[in-house]
Amino acid sequence: SAKYCPILTNHKSMESLFIHLIIRGDKDEHAVLCNEDETYDLKIADTSNLLLFVPGCKTPDQLPDISASPQLVHAQIWGFSNCYWELRRQRPRLKKLKKLLMENPYDGPAVGMQEEAPGPKYTMDDLLERIQASREEIEAHLQNVHACEIDGFWRILDFDYEMKLLGHVTQLVDSESWSFSKVPLSVCLEELGSLEPKSMIEHCLNCYGRRYSNEDGQVIYALDEDKVCRATAQLLLQNAVKFNLSEFQEVWQQSVPEGMSARLDQLRGLALLDRSSKPETISLLRIEDLPEDTLERFNSLFSLREKWTQDDIEPYIQDLCGEKQTTGALLTKHARSSVQNGVKVYNSRRPIAT
Amino acid sequence: MGFCVFCSKAGEGPAEWLLVELQGEVVSRQNTGLAGNLMGDLHYTKEGVPVLIVGHHILYGKQVKLEKPFAVLMKHSGLPRDEEETMETNQENPTSYTVSALIKKKLIFKTRPKPIITNVPKKV
Repeated sequence: SAKYCPILTNHKSMESLFIHLIIRGDKDEHAVLCNEDETYDLKIADTSNLLLFVPGCKTPDQLPDISASPQLVHAQIWGFSNCYWELRRQRPRLKKLKKLLMENPYDGPAVGMQEEAPGPKYTMDDLLERIQASREEIEAHLQNVHACEIDGFWRILDFDYEMKLLGHVTQLVDSESWSFSKVPLSVCLEELGSLEPKSMIEHCLNCYGRRYSNEDGQVIYALDEDKVCRATAQLLLQNAVKFNLSEFQEVWQQSVPEGMSARLDQLRGLALLDRSSKPETISLLRIEDLPEDTLERFNSLFSLREKWTQDDIEPYIQDLCGEKQTTGALLTKHARSSVQNGVKVYNSRRPIAT
Repeated sequence: MGFCVFCSKAGEGPAEWLLVELQGEVVSRQNTGLAGNLMGDLHYTKEGVPVLIVGHHILYGKQVKLEKPFAVLMKHSGLPRDEEETMETNQENPTSYTVSALIKKKLIFKTRPKPIITNVPKKV
């Protein structure tokens, strides 16, 4: 049977919005509406006014200009309503994507005659069904988490395995004395293909480098210094709760490929510095390990540290900003500011149980 | 895990409907319900002002372009009628929606309805 439910949209180009839309959500989730590349929250709204729907009813500009006899046109009111659904653009809920893929990370091809250990695996269609985001948003996030498609399933790499692949590549760059910006794909596949599957070598280069073609049409990669150094830092930081900052910086610089510079600004959203402790320390704090919901995120950050400077907290709240919203506006809304030692700091608006 | 798919009719775009917004309630004279009854007459003046006559009231309104257009959706449940109470959908009978119409403008009647008095007794 048919039921009409009016929806209010605020998309800039309405006709294109209706080419292909999907409502997504598990039973315990709020419904969202997705088109190819955006995600919208669905919220019911009501009005005290009566809304009448009249198909085909004309407005003055649509009626012929007649000075002759008056015309009577019958129009039928299709229905009426006091409420409607409102669409509000929102950031897609992607945390679940990594969570699903982490149920069964890929750590290399099965050894010898063994089959790969059983575990949940997801195709793109599976992900589209489970994740409250549009296809393009999902594809972009898969790239961000360095996932790759293996045998039709999207897999996230076990981090140690990913670092093993990167290690092979950087060691080869070193032994061949290549420039970081001129790493030839074909030689990498030839030299490293015996150690790891060629598809994995290429995937590693895609994650940590920018792909281009040179004048001879060869495929070359320019390694991304920031990405390589950042991954190396994560490898070091995940082994302990806290590190002495200066010791860490020394070990980190020694661990990155020779010729690359390890800089603290590469670690925004990955690590937290504590400059108030003596000695200064650094610890792993990844944004993807924090709650996705705005209020929960702020609670979590304020239970880790009572007072934050804007510079320190910014990388951990950047993704919470709505369309046209700044981190400053977010802080004004969810935190209270004060000045400590001449520096503006933010703390929680509500008491936090630590 | 339910998902519902919207799509516009292939080829043509959706039809355009008009929204008429009234303050308050419309009731039928003998409380017989609204369905099937004549609601009233909609006129436009030469200047394009919409005028609505409902019963013995007259309302003046205006045409407004909706900043956020409406879409009217028709739900197609794959389930037989008596099973519609549950919100569950399953793979074989997914619920889908089609866009039946778009509403880009409305006639809004915000002024207080004025009674039309046709018989004014003369002062004696």
